[in-house]
Amino acid sequence: MNTNPPQNRGLTAIDGAMALIVLLLIVQIWLLSATLESYLAGHREAAVPGAIISGILFGACLGLYLFVDRIDSEVRKG
Amino acid sequence: MFGMEFYVDPSRCIGCQACLKACEECDTHRGISMINFDFVDRKESIASAAYVCWHCENPTCAQVCPADAIKKYEDGIVGSSLKPRCIGCSNCVLACPFGIPKLVPEYEQMMKCDMCYDRTSVGKRPMCATVCPSQALTYVAPETIAATRREKPVNTFWFGNQKIVTKVYMMAPADAGAIAIDVADYTWEGEHEVVPQGF
Amino acid sequence: MKWFRKASSSSVPLWQDEFPVFTADERYVNRRQFTKFLTLTSFAMLAGNLWILVRSLFHRSPSYPRQHVAAADELAVGGVKVFAYPTAQDPCILVRTGSDSYVAYSQKCTHLSCAVYYAKEQNRLECPCHQGFFSVADGSVLQGPPQRALPRVTLERKGGQLLAVRMEGEGA
Repeated sequence: MNTNPPQNRGLTAIDGAMALIVLLLIVQIWLLSATLESYLAGHREAAVPGAIISGILFGACLGLYLFVDRIDSEVRKG
Repeated sequence: MFGMEFYVDPSRCIGCQACLKACEECDTHRGISMINFDFVDRKESIASAAYVCWHCENPTCAQVCPADAIKKYEDGIVGSSLKPRCIGCSNCVLACPFGIPKLVPEYEQMMKCDMCYDRTSVGKRPMCATVCPSQALTYVAPETIAATRREKPVNTFWFGNQKIVTKVYMMAPADAGAIAIDVADYTWEGEHEVVPQGF
Repeated sequence: MKWFRKASSSSVPLWQDEFPVFTADERYVNRRQFTKFLTLTSFAMLAGNLWILVRSLFHRSPSYPRQHVAAADELAVGGVKVFAYPTAQDPCILVRTGSDSYVAYSQKCTHLSCAVYYAKEQNRLECPCHQGFFSVADGSVLQGPPQRALPRVTLERKGGQLLAVRMEGEGA
């Protein structure tokens, strides 16, 4: 049972990482809708770069999440 | 908070009940006092004791609340029950080792001292501590207590094998490291029973 | 399902994890959990894009039937006929734009599949749901939320009859 209030340092870094993740998500949502529209219109060549860039964005989100996880466990330990 | 702590010294209590009246004045619960006021053994003596919530570090009341209505804030104060959540089940009333929470039947709500959070969160003292003439209830810096009192503040209680650490200090003889309470001492013994008053 | 837990140690029961007594725990730990779910949302988007990729790789050009739509003189100029092509679930709209010119499109608006109608005065295909307008000449979007042009039905004139032979501009 954690009876101590957590330290406040490291919070700014986590806030920044989360804001970045939200931005990346917005881009990813737009990318998905744009790829879908172009695919349905018959321009199937957009599917490959769309998937690749979406993968890169997801990789970035994953990296940022792992960063948040690391900072959070460090703050809790210290 | 703001460098001050709450100290309770029942031996100083003169039974004036000013703390009850001061507590009652708070607009958020006007008319209902949150002070737990006891006559120790009314038949034998006029000794009285006034208590506030002890704001335990691991509050039993909060742990047993089925509605998640009692919260402990970051500065250590245990709040009274949250109005939208409390269902009036009296779990906390039964669970608190100090017998602090009271169920108010007309509101079906538990109410207890929250150390005047609207005052203490901005550096003011709780109402009871400002009016107590003998300063049995006092809210000062630890240095002041060390300088002005012979007793020592203690915040560790043993109820049988259970250790309770509180935020509010009890003034105890200098050699008492912790206060051990034998619950059997306080069970009803017929004509020598303890009669609680107040609230 | 340990991955959604807040407390890394499993000695804390789930209910205590989800309903902490300390407001500090309520507020702070939720951030990490929220980030976890944001990453999951990102993965869901990626899955969507990958699905589109798979669909496009396995795409086969469909074969369309030849279907009689209407007689050439069935409609007046500016007249409209609704028919189903290539299947009964695909409503289409035929418009006689001139004495010798006919156009036909899928009637499903490319925004949210409301049925478009021919507005004679403005000479365009209109969708009543969100004011999406399409050109009668080639089905392209004139205004509104639709992003894609209306799929066009290729018509063939055989004698006095109009036949639908193919659907154009469709990827799915």
